[in-house]
Amino acid sequence: MRKVTIKGLLAHKLRLVLTALAIVLGVTFISGTFVLTDTLQNTFTTLFGNIYANIDFQVRGVAQLGSGAGATRNELPESLLNTVRRVPGVAAADGQVSGYAQFVARDGKAIANSGGAPTLGVAFDPDRQMSPLHLIAGGPPVAPDDVVMDAATAQKYGFTTGQRVRILSAGPTRTFTITGIVQFGTANNLAGATLAAFTLPTAQAIAQETGKLDDINVVTTPGASKTAVQRAIAAVLPPGVQVVTGQTVVNESTSSVSQALSFFSTALLVFAFISLFVGAFTIYNTFSIIVGQRTRELALLRIVGASRRQVFGSVLAEAAITGLVSSVIGLGLGVLAALGLQALLSGFGVTLPPGSLVFEPRTVLVGLAVGVGVTVVSAIGPARGAVRIPPVVALDDRQSVAGASLRRRFTWGTVLALAGAVLLGIGLAQPAIQLVGIGAAGLFVGVATLSPAVARPLSSVIGRPLPRLLGVAGKLGRENSMRSPRRTAQTAAALMVGLALVSAMAVFGASLSKSATSSADQAISADVIVTATGSAELSNAVPATASAVPGVTATTAFYSGRFEFQNSLTRLVAVSTTHLADTVILRMTAGTPAALSRGELLIDSTTARSKHLSVGGTARARFALTGPAVLRIGGIYQANALIGSYLVSAGFFLAHFPPQPPGGLLLRTGGSSAVNSAVTQALARYPNLQVQTRAQFEQAQVSSVNQLLGLVYALLGLAVIIALIGIVNTLMLSVFERTREIGLLRAVGMQRRQVRAMVRSEAVILAIFGAIVGIVIGTALGLALVASLRQQGITDTAVPVSSLVIFLLLSALLGLVAASWPARRAARLDVLAAIAAE
Amino acid sequence: MTLTSEGSTDNAQATPAAHAVDLRKTYGTGQAAVHALAGVDVTFERGRFTAVMGPSGSGKSTLMHCMAGLDRPTSGQTFVSGQDVGALDDAGLTRLRRDKIGFVFQSYNLIPTLSAAENITLPADLAGTKVDRDWLGYLVKQLGIGDRLTHRPSELSGGQQQRVACARALINKPALVFADEPTGNLDSNASADVLTFLRQSVSELGQSIVMVTHDPRGAAYADWVIFLADGTVVGELDQPTADSILERMRTLGA
Repeated sequence: MRKVTIKGLLAHKLRLVLTALAIVLGVTFISGTFVLTDTLQNTFTTLFGNIYANIDFQVRGVAQLGSGAGATRNELPESLLNTVRRVPGVAAADGQVSGYAQFVARDGKAIANSGGAPTLGVAFDPDRQMSPLHLIAGGPPVAPDDVVMDAATAQKYGFTTGQRVRILSAGPTRTFTITGIVQFGTANNLAGATLAAFTLPTAQAIAQETGKLDDINVVTTPGASKTAVQRAIAAVLPPGVQVVTGQTVVNESTSSVSQALSFFSTALLVFAFISLFVGAFTIYNTFSIIVGQRTRELALLRIVGASRRQVFGSVLAEAAITGLVSSVIGLGLGVLAALGLQALLSGFGVTLPPGSLVFEPRTVLVGLAVGVGVTVVSAIGPARGAVRIPPVVALDDRQSVAGASLRRRFTWGTVLALAGAVLLGIGLAQPAIQLVGIGAAGLFVGVATLSPAVARPLSSVIGRPLPRLLGVAGKLGRENSMRSPRRTAQTAAALMVGLALVSAMAVFGASLSKSATSSADQAISADVIVTATGSAELSNAVPATASAVPGVTATTAFYSGRFEFQNSLTRLVAVSTTHLADTVILRMTAGTPAALSRGELLIDSTTARSKHLSVGGTARARFALTGPAVLRIGGIYQANALIGSYLVSAGFFLAHFPPQPPGGLLLRTGGSSAVNSAVTQALARYPNLQVQTRAQFEQAQVSSVNQLLGLVYALLGLAVIIALIGIVNTLMLSVFERTREIGLLRAVGMQRRQVRAMVRSEAVILAIFGAIVGIVIGTALGLALVASLRQQGITDTAVPVSSLVIFLLLSALLGLVAASWPARRAARLDVLAAIAAE
Repeated sequence: MTLTSEGSTDNAQATPAAHAVDLRKTYGTGQAAVHALAGVDVTFERGRFTAVMGPSGSGKSTLMHCMAGLDRPTSGQTFVSGQDVGALDDAGLTRLRRDKIGFVFQSYNLIPTLSAAENITLPADLAGTKVDRDWLGYLVKQLGIGDRLTHRPSELSGGQQQRVACARALINKPALVFADEPTGNLDSNASADVLTFLRQSVSELGQSIVMVTHDPRGAAYADWVIFLADGTVVGELDQPTADSILERMRTLGA
């Protein structure tokens, strides 16, 4: 039997290559994701290890909110530095300060990475042993207006030591002299972040931490007992301050990076599995057709003594070998893909410390298991079909083997589709992402099972214009698509899944855009919105500068920060209360905005409902800086994504948070474009700001949604490509099956051009069929998704009809592309050989 | 060897329906070369029903394929209605087959997705020309398939399918019809129907037909029989009967 399997594989090289391609692409995606994230993880682990290589201990504030590297901690008094230095066994201790500082290029633009990496301003640690920074040119900062620049920025923007550079910060913008250029370990920058290092006092001023430190790094004297030193340091620390080992800090940082990376890799893996899921349809279809074509051969095997088991095993073995070979190729290509992505990252300015690619055994295991598993599982159905072939078929001219009865098919399809829809609904309501995935998969398989029932009539309708357009060729193409509804439906199923996901995303994206626009419309009455670009911060001077512009009648500053509300970490928004009514719209359902000035909390209606809070009631809260507090609910407003769920006055906010500039400004200008441009003019010396009218602001929101959508489309594109490979595959097999028929058509006078038109017609009908079913399901899915996210601020529903129509047309076009090769092959068939065949 | 037919009485036109000049078809080279056709000169006159006979491997199918432009000869020339077949490219050959030649094959010669009527008009539809309704009506009546026109091939008996194929072969009023073992898969009644129709279309309409067969009773419907063996024409018989054909086959040792 093994011989038969291998001979079978070799005899159908072409269709195996096409089948394998689906698996190769899916496994490439998986292994590429693993290799990339493992490599990034390794790079960061090494990086943090290097930074803290010589640090024995770190003295820092106890985590007030959250934990680990992402925790909010209070600053330390600078005086603690000397206290720590005096502890016996401490060889050196240096204070760390870090804040926002952004270089301004010579063309006046603020220097930032498109990747959104931070622009750091830190204190230069003169102790070479402790600092991760290595001077490669010049010397350390000495004077208050000295700065040291990272090598990547210096190279890219042409700065050298001795030159002057303007630096934006939360304080006033100032000009500094570059005294040195530094590397981060051996890398030119830290994962894309720019770095400005100052003297400690300057860094403190820039970070708005005068007299304060973020943390203190400690090195012990050689030979001293580390535990004893740690205990001794702990003994001198005031309450709320702790001393941890350098290793603890490394571990915390590493685990926060791996959390972020695991989110990233999960997102990518979701798309990889979608591709493989679509690939599974293609494989199922291919093996069904192969078994169909080999009916007589398989029946003959049964006659000469092959058992059912052996027939079943031979089909599965063929699948397993195909899966294995494809997976191995996919693993190899995955490494290349990871290299490509890495290159792409550095194209975005994220230069990583050099590190070789990490190829974990897990990558190989998962890649092989998934690749082989998907192939074998997809082939089980066709293999069972092969087993059902009665041996007598080999002796009989009528090669018909009845498949599962239509009624059984219908029952199963309905059950699967309904169960899938229910799971999907529960998953969306929970929300539980796994349930959503399983539900969607069930729904798709169910619909694919049901779709042969509509394949005939729908193909007939879709193909109706073809006979008129293309004559007999069109008519024959249409007839061919109606000929085997099951095959048509199975082939189209893969495209259906792809299009369903794309359409669902389109509906989601359109609704998100619309919600963003309408929440801005409903929350903001200001004419101009001033915000910081990227990870930048406003200067403290900006509010005064803006409100001094003649014609600006109202200025509202807003802030946001983390706090704990009823024991859960959440976001608090604050606004300055003078002229609030001129810039912000609060649709109060209870209470009044005036409560803000009394230091009371406003909450949105959704939160009030879910937490059973009402005006006059109180709730417990906690702030990192000031500790626990009891807040009085002064009012309830209609939920709005832009305002958020918790709102206080700016005065209250600044009393409970460390000093900081506002996150942005809302200005009332009466819509006068002269005033608007005067504002832009006045703020021109802050290139880290964007000054937008409300319309521009909304447009920016919409375009960032579209950017995200574009990315998702690109990731789903792979699934669509795999679906197209499935169409190519089916058409090739159909052409092969109809060799004799095509030969006859050619004999009685069909031109090659007409043969091509015939194959293309069938492909276009197939593609449109899949697209229509997919778009219908996808739109429903998208609407369900939007409905489930109402609480999260997607309040508006929009169905982007024009996008959906474009998807339909694109599918038809892709169908044509998929047909080009099979059509050429059909047209090239040797007429005589075709007639003489078999 | 040159053979010309002498019994052509009802058509005095200069160009024959088809003719071949020193036609050779060789497969393989050197020692392994097989000569399917080893120099055949033959003329199929208009309005004549010719049967081509010979044992398996005698080259009769190859002769038909080369003459119909389905296969390219190794050397020599073939002409259909005076047109040099060898001078045509694929599109020209396709047009030739569509407009000048009708085909009836042994089996599987209808398109399963088309109805009987659509199968009949296929050559005209492919050419994009208007179907001669009267002609279609006549053929359908002659063949007795009027009540079968909307049926698909799978709903027709073998004899009915072959009669539909006959109608398709004649729909474009071709210069020549090639029939390759048209009764090979049929029982004797259905065979008689098909052969009678072919005979009538020659006698009454002046159609030219070349039929490849190895059935002496079928060949007896023809006006003229040529015998092939080992790629050459080894004999001929005018106005044959089943007995005279059998007699000749014995003498030829075929």
